[in-house]
Amino acid sequence: MHVIANFIADTWLLWILLSIGGLLFWKGISSQYFNYVFNRYVLALITLLIVSGIVFSLMEVLPGDCAEKYIAYKNTQGETITQADIAAERARMGLDQPLAVRWASWVTDLTLRGDLGFSCAKRQSVNLALGDRFWLSFMFCMVGLIFAYVIAVPFGILSAFTINKGWQDKNPQHTKSERIINTLGLSFNKLLDLQLRIISYLGLALPNFLLALSIILLYVFAGEPTPTGLFSEQWKSVPWFGETGFEFGKLQDFLGHIWLPIFVIGWSATALQLQTVRALVVDESNKLYVDAARARGVDGMALWAGYPVRHSISPLFNSVGFDFQRIFNDLPIVAVVIGLTDAAALLIEALAQTNDQELAAGILFLVALVVISMNFITDIVLAAIDPRVRKSVLGN
Amino acid sequence: MIITRIFSKLRGKSANLEGDAYYTAGQMALIKARFKRKTTGVIAAWILGSIIFMGFFAGFFSPVDPTISGADKDYRRGAPQVVYFWDQNGFSFRPFTYTYQKEKAKIDLSALAGGGLAALDALTSSGALTSSSQNKYLIDEDKRRYLTFFVKGWEYSLIDLSMAGLDLDLRWDRHLFGVETGQIHLMGTDEDGKDVFSRTLHAIWITISIAIVALVVKLITSLFVGGVSGYFGGRVDTIMMSITEAVRVIPPIPIYLACAVALSQMDLTSIQRYFAIAVVIGALDFATLGRRLRTHILTERNQDYVLAAQLCGASTWRIIWRHLVPSFGSYIIVDTLINFPYVILAETSLSFLGLGLTEPVNSLGVLLQKAQDPDIQQNMIWQFFPVAVFVALIMAFVFVGDALRDAADPYAEKK
Repeated sequence: MHVIANFIADTWLLWILLSIGGLLFWKGISSQYFNYVFNRYVLALITLLIVSGIVFSLMEVLPGDCAEKYIAYKNTQGETITQADIAAERARMGLDQPLAVRWASWVTDLTLRGDLGFSCAKRQSVNLALGDRFWLSFMFCMVGLIFAYVIAVPFGILSAFTINKGWQDKNPQHTKSERIINTLGLSFNKLLDLQLRIISYLGLALPNFLLALSIILLYVFAGEPTPTGLFSEQWKSVPWFGETGFEFGKLQDFLGHIWLPIFVIGWSATALQLQTVRALVVDESNKLYVDAARARGVDGMALWAGYPVRHSISPLFNSVGFDFQRIFNDLPIVAVVIGLTDAAALLIEALAQTNDQELAAGILFLVALVVISMNFITDIVLAAIDPRVRKSVLGN
Repeated sequence: MIITRIFSKLRGKSANLEGDAYYTAGQMALIKARFKRKTTGVIAAWILGSIIFMGFFAGFFSPVDPTISGADKDYRRGAPQVVYFWDQNGFSFRPFTYTYQKEKAKIDLSALAGGGLAALDALTSSGALTSSSQNKYLIDEDKRRYLTFFVKGWEYSLIDLSMAGLDLDLRWDRHLFGVETGQIHLMGTDEDGKDVFSRTLHAIWITISIAIVALVVKLITSLFVGGVSGYFGGRVDTIMMSITEAVRVIPPIPIYLACAVALSQMDLTSIQRYFAIAVVIGALDFATLGRRLRTHILTERNQDYVLAAQLCGASTWRIIWRHLVPSFGSYIIVDTLINFPYVILAETSLSFLGLGLTEPVNSLGVLLQKAQDPDIQQNMIWQFFPVAVFVALIMAFVFVGDALRDAADPYAEKK
């Protein structure tokens, strides 16, 4: 009994993965859609495997290895260390094996029980060292992403609306007063669009670290306490649930700090998103079905909302995974400036200071995992709800 | 609209392709014509062009040698020297600036005579010993220094192709402007007395040349990946594309960081390091462009014109270079221009973390890195000038890229 429980505990992840795969395969025999889902599932797993290979071998370029670090630590404790000791330590840790063997054992541990390896610098397993920090980073990115979408989608559509319009209304069929009113409206739209583009591109042109720095500087000049980190000193050690129930003061303090990183990473993401939305809507609005709708008499908002905008939503939704990756890409440097303690900051620490290969590989792998799962989910959701996608992936 | 009219004049007559010319125009000519109709894009292109031009001929435009040999020992941590045309002493057609004299720092050491540590503490905390209070300058408004133009000064190389392996190094010693005596510091000096304005100008070209190297490397890798994958198709395509897909999901900055850390272990000169970083940034960024090229080649290689060329006996290379590459050449150019700001941002991010280029190299990233120094934030705010230039540069690039993207889209216009 005990043996079986241990066995299950050691291989639980593999069983979950296999049962999902089996279920999808079984469903796929009778349904074309599930067959597609099964294919995507297998593809996602293969991509993950390749990602783990790339990440793991890239981390080899970081100088030093676990044995050297461990021995160096012992050295500071006053023991004299010889080269033979390092070699022995290396053999004990299995670091003398070739890269492929170590990678295979890392991947096996990962697929069997979700074990990301051992962090040398932290002297604990990567899973423990990461803990909630990864979820914190994940939440940052998600909220930043939502922030970007909320701003970029409406203004991107507005921008697309004004793109091929002139400043003046020169339509000879309009009366003079109509032309003046239309010209005013067009100029207003154009100016608004230009302003929005300047503001959003400023987010792109000001590197994230500079933006964070300048906001912190403003606080310094104003003589206020800077909103760095996640909590101020006063609330840092207070638990969420105190004697008097939920601590709203802590929540308030948390919200007072959390807006800064979200705003900083959200701003630059908005600029990119704005460009994408604009390009997508412009692309769709030049298609013939829009002309056909216009010929039928659909006009104004109904035309825009019902035709080009509606059709450009699904490619936008499709890119959520890569948007997440792009936002996470910016997070580490922002984390350094603001003094966050999330997984991104840990990643920078592992890469640049402690050269902790397995920790860095673990974090990068988790980010890739999130991106790949998002891509998987958007793919299957789109295939389920968007008839165009369904037709292209399922055949009929 | 007067402004539009001015700009339509600036654009010249070639802007409008009329009648037959429109239908027979090449892809590039069409893009150019459409681009010229975008007012913001044209303005941004002019700004971008002038920034790059000044950066390329930085030696000519900067009045002071930006290296340590040109540092002004008598004007360290000095504020910007303003150029005037008139003051209370009267008007002058020639612009002038004042003479700046270092104020003798008055430190009262007599309190220390007793040997009391409390007195020493008081002196230290009074701020009299900080470098900014040691470097105070008096403006002598009666001693004008007039600006001179096309002045002889330190020697610089106007065009230096020795890096490209050519034996051409054009040296010159004329500068656009200078000042009669001493040096002029339009944007102040840093803590070593190096001129911030000149450093910034020199940094522009270094940063842009890194981006160019990175983009060329990116183009080569993308062409290789996309070309091989698209041309051979089948199993090669499947393998290449699954690797590309995997590379695409990993966030790039941490990867650059890992490579930069590895590079910092090697014994490289600053020039080698500079190229190594550019190559790393470029080589790992092939996923998006490579995929697009592959899709393009996959569709194009089955077109009739390729078949016609094959039947005429053209070789594979000829087909690729003379028929396939021109069909997406304009797309590549536009994509490259759009990617400029992101490459520059990647370089600055690395430099900001101290893993890219480092002092004394002048790159915008190195100069931006200084912005995190609290000393500079509080006492030398003029050292934020490179930040302004950087923001202007990226904004110009983004606006030009945006206009180009619209101009390059063949469906953007209904004719």
